Amino acid sequence: MSSPVPPPMLPGMPPQGIARARRATFFVLTLLGTLLGSWLLTIYLSASGWRWAEVLLLLCFIPLYYQLNGGFWTALIGVWLQNRPEDDPLDLWKTIEGDDSAISASTAIIIPVYNEDVTRVWEGLRVTYESLAKTGQLEHYDFYVLSDSDQTNKWIEEQTAWLELCRQLGAFGKIFYRKRRKPINRKSGNVSDFCRRWGKRYRYMIVFDADSLMSGALMVAMTRIMEKNPGVGILQTFPKQVASETLLGRLMQFAQALYGPAFMAGINYWQGGEANFWGHNAIIRLEPFIKECALPPLPKTVPFGGHILSHDFVEAALMRKAGYAVRLLNTIRGSYEEGPPTLIDTLKRDRRWCQGNMQHFWLLFAKGWHFMSRMNFFHGVLSYVSSPLWFVFLVLSTYLAATPVMHDSAQVARAGQLLLWLTVMLIFLPKVVIVLDEMFTGRLFKPLPQRLMTLVGSIADTVIFTLMAPVMMWFHSRFVVKIILGQGVSWVAQKRKSGGGVDWREAILTFGGITLLGVVWSMIAWWVSIDFLIWISPILISFLLAVPLAIILGSSKSGLRFGLFLTPEELEPPTVLSDLEDNLAEVKTRLQLPPEIEKNYGLMQVCLDPYVNGLHVSLLRRRRNTEDSSEYLEQIADRFIKQGPQALKPREVNAIINDTDTVASLHYRLWSASENELAPFWSLAIKQYNLASTNPFTHLLANKGGDTISSSVAQD
Amino acid sequence: MEALNIQFAPATGTEEEWNEAYARLADYFRSYRLHNRIRRTQLILETLRRAALAHAREPQKKPTAHAIEQARAMMQHWLRSIYSDMQMTPAQIEASGKLGFYLAGGSERWPQFFLDENNPPEEMAEAMRLAVRTSGPRLQVSKMTPRDIDLGLTEVAENTFDRLAKEQWARYVILAVFVLLVVGYVYSLLR
Repeated sequence: MSSPVPPPMLPGMPPQGIARARRATFFVLTLLGTLLGSWLLTIYLSASGWRWAEVLLLLCFIPLYYQLNGGFWTALIGVWLQNRPEDDPLDLWKTIEGDDSAISASTAIIIPVYNEDVTRVWEGLRVTYESLAKTGQLEHYDFYVLSDSDQTNKWIEEQTAWLELCRQLGAFGKIFYRKRRKPINRKSGNVSDFCRRWGKRYRYMIVFDADSLMSGALMVAMTRIMEKNPGVGILQTFPKQVASETLLGRLMQFAQALYGPAFMAGINYWQGGEANFWGHNAIIRLEPFIKECALPPLPKTVPFGGHILSHDFVEAALMRKAGYAVRLLNTIRGSYEEGPPTLIDTLKRDRRWCQGNMQHFWLLFAKGWHFMSRMNFFHGVLSYVSSPLWFVFLVLSTYLAATPVMHDSAQVARAGQLLLWLTVMLIFLPKVVIVLDEMFTGRLFKPLPQRLMTLVGSIADTVIFTLMAPVMMWFHSRFVVKIILGQGVSWVAQKRKSGGGVDWREAILTFGGITLLGVVWSMIAWWVSIDFLIWISPILISFLLAVPLAIILGSSKSGLRFGLFLTPEELEPPTVLSDLEDNLAEVKTRLQLPPEIEKNYGLMQVCLDPYVNGLHVSLLRRRRNTEDSSEYLEQIADRFIKQGPQALKPREVNAIINDTDTVASLHYRLWSASENELAPFWSLAIKQYNLASTNPFTHLLANKGGDTISSSVAQD
Repeated sequence: MEALNIQFAPATGTEEEWNEAYARLADYFRSYRLHNRIRRTQLILETLRRAALAHAREPQKKPTAHAIEQARAMMQHWLRSIYSDMQMTPAQIEASGKLGFYLAGGSERWPQFFLDENNPPEEMAEAMRLAVRTSGPRLQVSKMTPRDIDLGLTEVAENTFDRLAKEQWARYVILAVFVLLVVGYVYSLLR
């Protein structure tokens, strides 16, 4: 492999002059705002000399205000860019204007999965595949589903879905499925494993998340951009959140649709060639990625050290260090993802992200990073550390309010008022400007009534996000403290659909503590003074209402009926999305088996179905067993047959399903056993199995392959 | 396969046991998605006939077990006759061969030739072989070796000094911050 370090000015790398000017503009504005706020607070606090609590308050305030200013200027610069008459000279889309030539580069589309909803993953792959086929460039793309699933049922379901989808699409040799026996280093290890095995075959790799969706046209355009801009190492799209059904999900996707483009334009402005990689919906130049972006473990053990969890930021920094630009592609349509449906699921995801970002603390001072890569790490750490800082800020404010000193100078009072209004402006002005921009330009919706509903939606989302923010602050603070205390996080599959929302018990158990905190804090605030109670009431109301808020946010009453929080994707779904919804709806209509059988459907298939058993054994790597291990497997298999799958531990089930000889013989042993030798589960399964599915492989997928078995079984 | 013998009078085993074996075989062949009832009945009877002979030799084993064992043996013979020219172990033939039949659409297109090792149509055999030949992409192994990241804090100081030496603007920024701090301090003293 040749040296990956390109000359500094290869196309795609923003010219240094422009990049520096933009960065200087952004950071000067942000730092000036921070300085102004800090100065006003200093005047206010130092009126009667400094107390330790006031010094601490100021120290907490500075990073918080920096963060606030950063968001403010990012949004305003974004709105300015959106309305600027002339084109952005750094716009990558310009480099492929009028280019419809055939692509010569080969690209792998990889989908790492871990115990995900099998139907969603494979139906998503289907619509992406079909969308690519429509572009006429499908021959240059291969698909890889890279599984680390450790639930046996999921594993079998993935295998059957792979086979069936390949059969329906005629895509053997285009869509590949690979399951790792041991999920070493989680997602980044999964991707590295792909790179080591097949990376040399491809020039680019497009990384999907399990819930990602991309249009073929966008993927082809991304490949063309990479071809025209050899200085770009990673090209990240802006994935829009779609397909939400709960209030929280729809709120997030509405906010992202309305405010997201301006923020993305702003971030793109100041990040330039040192943007971040978000782990999915991005295209990567494989040669430098393989050579330069392998992740070493961090010093010490988890939670701060060990395997790098949030690998994407680090890979972006390594790519930039290797001399390649990491760029954000301004995308309005074509790149989609799904989000967590409830507040509890959001917090679970945030806990994982929090640990990943906190780990980056190690990397802040590492050698050789580009300055902006350091800033990206710093912003990532700050995004979570800001929560405990805010919490401490509020506690100190309470203490200072309870032990007041006289602020009788007019200058001090004016400084306090000015700081208050400045802060209100920093929080709300970006939203106001973006909504006004929408009112005047109709960027999202052309018809006036819809624009007005966007205004109503924006007011409603402001209220709800104001209620949510303190709850998030409390939990993020706890996450940070727990991580510092050495409590890591486990790797859990992300929940992406509501599946019944949040029940009261779960909400009370999760948010009961914060409600209690709200009660106590309210009493203290009331005791301090009524003025202080009013000042801190937005925080306390949020604490007090946390339980009902979690219920409401997780409910399916999402305002859709009233036209609230509409997004362009809901009104006019892109083809990939509408096709996916149709296919998922078709799968939902399939026959449901008894719950016990349904829960172990994959296991039942691999043991009973001759074709699924054959598929599984064919895909397994054959290993030579020792006498001891054969005896152990035999013993588990006996219990499996006589007592049913529920009698075995997950690792025992995994052991027998991972062994070719055992799994092949299980099939015949089960069918050979008399009724009295079988666990009730297997008796029922044998009776039900042939009734359950018309085809062993279509249970989890829509039937778009003109399968005639179903019609024949109807007469059977 | 030998000519079908409708007469079924096993010398050993009870009627109940053979009924259970019949029901199990019916379910088993249905699991191959073999929806041609006539063929399925033929196969059940032939398998039972063979199972009855086996049971007479080994009566301690249940008829159901004999029946499935015979069905497996018939399957192995049949698949071996189709995949004999491919480089596969018996276990691979058994696993992949069944799958080949499914992928070739065998249960719909050639149900009457399922387990018929004497007269398999060449078209069916070729379709089954073709289905098994399709495999994943050949590995092209590349090295992806993690490199240590130097996390030393001293490097930051070094980088900063290097930068200060090279970048004039950085020196002015430091100077301006320093002046601002001094002015601020003086201001606070004079208030």
